[in-house]
Amino acid sequence: MAEGRPDKAELFEQFHELARTRDRAVRDRLVEAHLGLAEYLARRFANRGEPLDDLIQVASLGLVKAVERFDPERGLEFTTFATPTIVGELKRHFRDKGWAVRVPRRVQELHLLVSRVVDELSLDLGRSPTIDEIAERAGISGDEVLEAMDAGAAYRSTSLDAPGGANDDEDSRGLLGQLGERDPELVRAEARAELGPLIATLPEREQVILYLRFYEGQTQSEIAQHLGISQMHVSRLLARSLQQLRERAEAGDDGNGTTPA
Amino acid sequence: MVPADPLMLRVARLTAAGLGTRIGFSYDEVEDVKIAVDELCFSLLGSKGRPGSLELTYRLNGDTLTVEGVGRFEGGRAGAPSDLSARILEAVVDEHELVAGDGEPARFRLVKRRSANRDG
Repeated sequence: MAEGRPDKAELFEQFHELARTRDRAVRDRLVEAHLGLAEYLARRFANRGEPLDDLIQVASLGLVKAVERFDPERGLEFTTFATPTIVGELKRHFRDKGWAVRVPRRVQELHLLVSRVVDELSLDLGRSPTIDEIAERAGISGDEVLEAMDAGAAYRSTSLDAPGGANDDEDSRGLLGQLGERDPELVRAEARAELGPLIATLPEREQVILYLRFYEGQTQSEIAQHLGISQMHVSRLLARSLQQLRERAEAGDDGNGTTPA
Repeated sequence: MVPADPLMLRVARLTAAGLGTRIGFSYDEVEDVKIAVDELCFSLLGSKGRPGSLELTYRLNGDTLTVEGVGRFEGGRAGAPSDLSARILEAVVDEHELVAGDGEPARFRLVKRRSANRDG
């Protein structure tokens, strides 16, 4: 996909030219050269009930703003500078729409119901319940249970859209204090040592969850109990952190110098 | 066989979840297999997808779900799995394998068994 794309030095030169002349033609060329970034970011928000074409348009608008505001003298890579601007534009788009449009009310209710039943049954049975058991207790079909579980993925956008959104009140309960005798600082330090610097870019609770799940081999139910949050919430946070880690690893691989120090 | 597009991931994930349900996977196991499918498909496709197709085969055998993927992409090879990726897969499935394939189709395989500590 890199063919036909101006190289870095050339782009840098154009940014300088734009800074000097504010020439619209130069601006448009720069926007054109980075449309791939806008599309890439727009795709991250796809599957959330908004047509991809609309998202690309919103992202492109963010890109135009970023090109206009970028100051090549500050020594930042353009992509590093532009990404938050474009993502901000996309988030605003969703915020304006409200997330309830994207997750039908019925699914939201199912999600809450299943979340409660999973936790109840885990306590009753002393193990992770099967999907059939959940379906029976909740009085819905197995497919509906799966649908409700998958709706967790849609919630991801909620937490992206609205910092401190749904369920984040749980954050204020000093969750890390609930790791028992374990020192939360130590767990996080271990997580960073094992998972590398990328993990430090995640919220601290997600760092702890990743570590407990993938390095200590705790199950999602065990982690949920440990932290005193619902299992569906653990699933959601795990899915979200994995997605973010992948995105960041990928951005770093592009060799555009965005790897966190 | 689906286009090698991440938008198809939900289908791949739900199929694995649905089949796992048929053989009595627990909530934890269903979540695990979804993470694994996501992780392996992402390794092949990246977040943007690639021109080409991904052929997924699901097999149920007793208490075991096997998912195999074969990616046929135009040009370029699929990325090698990262250490983190391998670590994640180790934690969530019983067996996993990813061959990026030079010139050959890239393929992966995952195996998830139902845990023994319950009848059903």
